[in-house]
Amino acid sequence: MKKSLLALAALAAVSASAYDINGAGASFPAPLYFDWAYSFQKATGNRVNYQSIGSGGGIKQISARVVDFGASDKPLKPRKLDKKGLYQFPAVIGSIVAAYNIPGIGDMKLKLENKDLAAIFMGKIKFWDDKAIAEDNPNLKLPHKKIIVCHRADGSGTTFNFSYYLSHASSDWANNIGIGKALDWPVGLGGKGNEGVSSLIKQNPYSIGYVEYAYKLKNKFSAAVLKTKSGKWVSPTEDNFKAAAKHAKWTAKKHFYQILALQPGDDSYPIVAATFILLPREAKAKDKEVTKFFDYAFKNGDETAKKLGYIPLPKETKDMIRAYWKSNGIF
Amino acid sequence: MATVCEVKEEHIIEVKNFSFTYAGADKPNLKKINMPIGKNAVTALIGPSGCGKTTLLRCFNRMHDLYPGNRYDGEILLDGKNILGKKEDLIALRTRVGMIFQKPTPFPMSIFDNVAYGLRLQGIKSKSELEGRVETALKDSALWNEVGDRLKNPASALSGGQQQRLCIARAIAVEPEVLLFDEPTSALDPISTQSIEELVLKLKDKVTIAIVTHNMQQAARISDYTAFMYMGDLIEMGVTEELFITPKEDMTEQYITGKFG
Amino acid sequence: MDKFLDSLFLNTSRIFAITVLVVLVALFIVLFKEAKPAIDAFGLQFLTNTRWAPNMDIFGGYPAIYGSIVSTAIAMLIATPIAIGIAIFLSELASPLVAAIVGMAVELLAAIPSIIYGMWGLFYLAPILKDIWGGSGLGLATAGVVLSIMIIPFMAAITRDAMKTTPDILKESAYGMGATRWEVLKDVVIPYVKSGIIGSIILALGRAIGETMAVTFVMGNAHKVPHSLFEAATSIPVTLANEFTEADTDLYYSSLFYLALILLVISFTVIAIAKFLFLKRVQEKKI
Repeated sequence: MKKSLLALAALAAVSASAYDINGAGASFPAPLYFDWAYSFQKATGNRVNYQSIGSGGGIKQISARVVDFGASDKPLKPRKLDKKGLYQFPAVIGSIVAAYNIPGIGDMKLKLENKDLAAIFMGKIKFWDDKAIAEDNPNLKLPHKKIIVCHRADGSGTTFNFSYYLSHASSDWANNIGIGKALDWPVGLGGKGNEGVSSLIKQNPYSIGYVEYAYKLKNKFSAAVLKTKSGKWVSPTEDNFKAAAKHAKWTAKKHFYQILALQPGDDSYPIVAATFILLPREAKAKDKEVTKFFDYAFKNGDETAKKLGYIPLPKETKDMIRAYWKSNGIF
Repeated sequence: MATVCEVKEEHIIEVKNFSFTYAGADKPNLKKINMPIGKNAVTALIGPSGCGKTTLLRCFNRMHDLYPGNRYDGEILLDGKNILGKKEDLIALRTRVGMIFQKPTPFPMSIFDNVAYGLRLQGIKSKSELEGRVETALKDSALWNEVGDRLKNPASALSGGQQQRLCIARAIAVEPEVLLFDEPTSALDPISTQSIEELVLKLKDKVTIAIVTHNMQQAARISDYTAFMYMGDLIEMGVTEELFITPKEDMTEQYITGKFG
Repeated sequence: MDKFLDSLFLNTSRIFAITVLVVLVALFIVLFKEAKPAIDAFGLQFLTNTRWAPNMDIFGGYPAIYGSIVSTAIAMLIATPIAIGIAIFLSELASPLVAAIVGMAVELLAAIPSIIYGMWGLFYLAPILKDIWGGSGLGLATAGVVLSIMIIPFMAAITRDAMKTTPDILKESAYGMGATRWEVLKDVVIPYVKSGIIGSIILALGRAIGETMAVTFVMGNAHKVPHSLFEAATSIPVTLANEFTEADTDLYYSSLFYLALILLVISFTVIAIAKFLFLKRVQEKKI
């Protein structure tokens, strides 16, 4: 009896020093956050609960202060951050690939001009053997098959980043479709989440869709070679994603607001995107607990990130984020 | 052995050594019954609940065939021909042997369509013929005066007694040889009961009637012959007046004097 | 004491009953309030506008409304005759053993969560339909088929139960007239249980029009009025399920509520029409 009371007291002492953080938001980085949280708890005893409810939900919940931190695939503009009283910093970088399912054409064999990719998703290029595609792929035997376009049915940061890239690659797209988390898609099938789009691509031969790189790995999809901003062919490889990330011009002044599509450099893959964390400005004590978690993740989490198909932030960026925390008194 | 009186009318139905077993029963529910039914006479079947009178009645139009596993043994002759054969045309049999049930069973349709139902099943399409025969049937069942002006109304709007007479009209419209009544007045009030009884008496000129009844006075009032059954056996069949006044079997006497049942 | 218990019981059950009404009214009020900005912005044009471009704050409900109605109509057209056929077989034709076994199977199917029908539709039915009618295999026709498969057991079970209420004596009197099985069914059983059948159709209709999970997978999720039944489309519940969590502008959010309000009004109207017109008419004719 006495022993168990003692044990209980000891337990209480531990839990008093340990703390809980609740976060919610973007589903894309969720697997990584779960993993980070797991090792963080093992190392420090502190618990991080993350609910993968989508970026919109994350923004809503942190704006209402329901959770301790929010996560969004789409950065908020500084003006909006001021209005909602939030801090913002990137946590990890992801990339989006144009995955296709064309029998007989393997991974990174198909080359697509950025503007042609836009035309495909607008329904203006209808067949795989269209002249525009054939010109760039003289060595491929392209089938005369209708292209089945697959896109997200739910609002998504992935769609935001993909449409941002298309808008900058094609004025036709910019003028008619625009940028957004949910769009008025002229053609195609909608799938819910990266999983939904992946299963549509898998099920439909002659389809093309955009998914996070992690889903390309998981489903062993073939992905198209695209063009850099400077007009060089660039394959969807980790080195090329990293090259793009290196060029990002983050600034603490703008709360790291930066969209990473079409970065300069001859080997910068055109569609990379960071995913962001949002913190309430008034809750400094709690924010410190949250930053402690991300500091831990920045130090120890790069390997897991790579394994799961994400690109860790460059060291300079991490340092810049720490400085941002310090200057705001939340580290 | 049962005591069966002589039936002077032509025997339109002849029950011979007839046994009936319900599906799943280990012994017969009707046991070796022998009895005649006289043409254009009213034969009443009486007896306590479970004696088999309704079971026997339902053999005359092979109603038991609607449910699987029931067994007939022996013979039931209709106009001298056994109706228990495997190849018997039940649809034809049932147009020759009509049936009226414990409760009125108007079909969910108009008065006219109810009476015309059997005629239409027989393939009669001519409007004038249908109208003529519906009118005759309704007159014969003493309903014409009450419903002749509203034949298009739903049958369900009629009173219970009217509904039962409608069922009789429906049954006689196809001019059957035999009409089976299964406690036709058990759900009706005394006045409606009386009108049905009058109808039965009137109908026997045209059709042979077998009626199952719980009510001994009713049997006495309307039947020419009465058969008393008990536990699946036919105990006694006699001319109605004789059976009720001077029964030949002790059991019959006990039953009609109210000692059991 | 007895009196006290009695009034306690009476009042408690009264409160429970009133709760239903309160919830219903509250539901309407909340939907209307949340939909108000969209109603103010688009008015009734929302019902006919075909463009749904969230990133430009343009919202038109027509594709979703169209998809809801058409997919439900297809489902009802397929399901009604089949379900009634199953019910007839189970209640009138099958031997008791077969009726018990098949009946149990029907009840089990009716209890399967709709998401399972959706997954089955996406992974097994869509590829088959794709081979038959081309395209991606996703769209209104596929949604209609999956919905119909989902509601058939439900409809069949209710219809069978309704048919079983036909008194034996009524059927016997039709057989007694020399009617065949088919004639008894057509002239007696079906007219007798018409209200039950219509009731089951309405319940199934209600399920189909509000169904989300079974169709999100197979609708194709495109905010377009398709040129054919074999092209991708969307429906109201599918749109809500897909887009609610990420609706981050006020007008977007409100437009989704507007759609929800429309769905509620459609379901309500269908049930009201059915209840006040058909059931009444049928009941008057009944025995």
